[in-house]
Amino acid sequence: MKKMKSNRTSRIIGHNVLIGVLAFIWLIPIVWLVCTSFSSYPGMNTSTFFPKEWSLIHYQKLFHPDTVQQFPRWFMNTFIIACFTTVISTSFVVMVAYATSVLRFPMRKPLMNMAVILNLFPGMLSMIAVYFVLKTFNLTNSYAGLIMVYSGSAGLGYLIAKGFFDTVPRALCEAARIDGCSEARIFWQIVIPMSRPILVYTVISSFLAPWMDFVFAKMILNAGISANYTVAIGLYKMLDKSLINSYFTIFCCGGVLVSVPISILFFIMQKFYVEGITGGAVKG
Amino acid sequence: MANQKKGGAVAAVGGFFKSVGGFLSDFGTAFVKGDVFVKLSAVWMGAGYARRRQYAKAVIMTALEAAVIAFTIVFAMQYVPKFGTLGTVTMERVFNMQTMKSEFNDYDNSFSILLFSLFSFVIWAAALVIWMKNIINVYRLQKMDEAGEHINTFREDLHSYIEDKFHITLLTLPVLGITVFTFVPILLLIFVAFTNYDQQHMPPSALFSWTGFTNFLSLFGGGGLTTTFSYAFVRVLGWTLVWAFFATFTTYIGGILLSLLLNSQKTRAPRFWRTLFIITIAVPQFVSLLLVRNFFSNGGIVNTICANIGLTGFLRNIGLVSTSYIPFLSAPGWAHVMIILINIWIGIPYQMLIATGVLMNLPADQLESARVDGAKPYQIFAKITMPYMLFVTGPALVTDFVKNINNFNVIYLLTEGVYTTTNQAMANSQAKEVDLLVTWLFRLTQDYYNYKMASAIGIIVFIICAVFTLFAFNRMIGNGREEDYQ
Repeated sequence: MKKMKSNRTSRIIGHNVLIGVLAFIWLIPIVWLVCTSFSSYPGMNTSTFFPKEWSLIHYQKLFHPDTVQQFPRWFMNTFIIACFTTVISTSFVVMVAYATSVLRFPMRKPLMNMAVILNLFPGMLSMIAVYFVLKTFNLTNSYAGLIMVYSGSAGLGYLIAKGFFDTVPRALCEAARIDGCSEARIFWQIVIPMSRPILVYTVISSFLAPWMDFVFAKMILNAGISANYTVAIGLYKMLDKSLINSYFTIFCCGGVLVSVPISILFFIMQKFYVEGITGGAVKG
Repeated sequence: MANQKKGGAVAAVGGFFKSVGGFLSDFGTAFVKGDVFVKLSAVWMGAGYARRRQYAKAVIMTALEAAVIAFTIVFAMQYVPKFGTLGTVTMERVFNMQTMKSEFNDYDNSFSILLFSLFSFVIWAAALVIWMKNIINVYRLQKMDEAGEHINTFREDLHSYIEDKFHITLLTLPVLGITVFTFVPILLLIFVAFTNYDQQHMPPSALFSWTGFTNFLSLFGGGGLTTTFSYAFVRVLGWTLVWAFFATFTTYIGGILLSLLLNSQKTRAPRFWRTLFIITIAVPQFVSLLLVRNFFSNGGIVNTICANIGLTGFLRNIGLVSTSYIPFLSAPGWAHVMIILINIWIGIPYQMLIATGVLMNLPADQLESARVDGAKPYQIFAKITMPYMLFVTGPALVTDFVKNINNFNVIYLLTEGVYTTTNQAMANSQAKEVDLLVTWLFRLTQDYYNYKMASAIGIIVFIICAVFTLFAFNRMIGNGREEDYQ
């Protein structure tokens, strides 16, 4: 009996050690990012894992822009773009999701079918064509163009929110309708207040899109001047072959500073996403 | 979720044509059975409304009709007539005797012609639908009038947009956005694939024209002497499929295993461990991937460590490496394996999250009874967990495969500027061994302005994705039955 118990304990220890080892492997690059950002040497440290000398000097440099790196500006640019994108995308997503979920109208099925077909086109491909269009209207190298690219087709990503609205009890809406409530009021005063989890999820995920994105920003802002970049493009340009030796540590600092708020939002979104899916299921 | 999303792709096409048919027959009936004012509405769109005393609506429809006609005369006619040739007048400098200055002639811009013609076609199509819808509406008004029913005043009509027509209020802007930013660009891409729009034919200084299937021919090996596109295309396509296969399945299986490991009763502090893994995906990809690429660079830290512990020397001795460093991301073979490994690093935590969510709903009684019957853990995994996972996440697996075919970020951020091809034939068509079709296409447009080939590749990618999706879904599931859940 005793032997069995010790056997079990060693199995538990082995199990947790295995997870520990995996987590260790997974975190190596992240730890390296944080450590390198505190290095006093501006280029890439190639001989040792941990910096030889620790200092905060590159964090200070990050807030004193020069011609190449203008992190505070980039951060503001991305923030502005993200705010606009959030407002437009969220309203598009919620509007489409609500219309297709709660309302019944003749064009509902055909429209949803169209969305299925359009979703088969990878976003990347249509964006190359969008680039042509924006170029014709002189909207490349402008925030307006980038915001349009991020939020213009947001309506196509309505399915998660629709899944949530589908679980809102129909009896509530029916009751409101019988009491003479208009469709618009049902939308604003009954369904929207009940949908906090999915709203938070939609808001955060559309806010994160511009922060996480690299391709579209590169495509549209590439030829612009440094002060107009977003964080992604700015940090990418710092790793250019001619710049990497003097900017690598600053890149790490920027990477850490961008990752902190994004990670926090990401974790919040996580929670609401699960809540939006499971919470809705319980209600229905 | 994904089940609903793409489940009915085949039914979608059928359903779409069915509803178009219904609309057309409504229109036919309305036009044939309508009175003279309904028929007059075909010419003057406000006629039917004016007859039923809906003057405000009559004014709006008349204004709309006037706007479309004005658009056609003032704007569309500049471009659409040239659509067949895409312009004939090349840009030239001519000396203007009046101003004594050298000026440009009245040249054609092929791209503007193509884009604005397309734009006009979309507007006309929308106008046609509105025109037909208008006749149907007017006919309904006529019948209501004949039956002596109440006809809405303008105020009541407006009010209906927050009542029974609320969906129109909600959907107008999003649908407009999708039309402008997804639908029209896709059409444009399809058209460009049939032209010779490239660096030698760049508007405004030069014209481009229709070339039929030439671009597709050169992709599939009929390109003649100058191009090597078909050579590069086969290789890039092959790697794209290999990559998509490995990237999807390694992370999928890995994610399930990791989530089983974390959710086991033996795990202490599962939330803590899960958080550690999620940190990896919470960091934006452009930071983590750019970092990893320097981590593994030719003169990077991993290479130093490998040299110090003698791994580099060992690999050189057995002939796997011919340089003084290990070319993790800069030689074919090495780079391919590394990219898939790094993708595992990025992808597994993500799949773990999804798998955790799904596994929570795993029917516990089945597991329990299997355990009582004495099933081994791996038997439970193979006979209960995996079939359940496959059943629930099967559609997501297909979507993931398609996403990986288009996984631009991982490939571009890891290899751009690091990997240079030594294969002359690949370099001639601006491709690299590690390129996916999308990264190749991106480089062709951004750095080499070869829009015609990029568009052709884009269409091929779409066909691959669409055929694969339709095929996989048709085999896996039927149409999504969303009403069942309500």
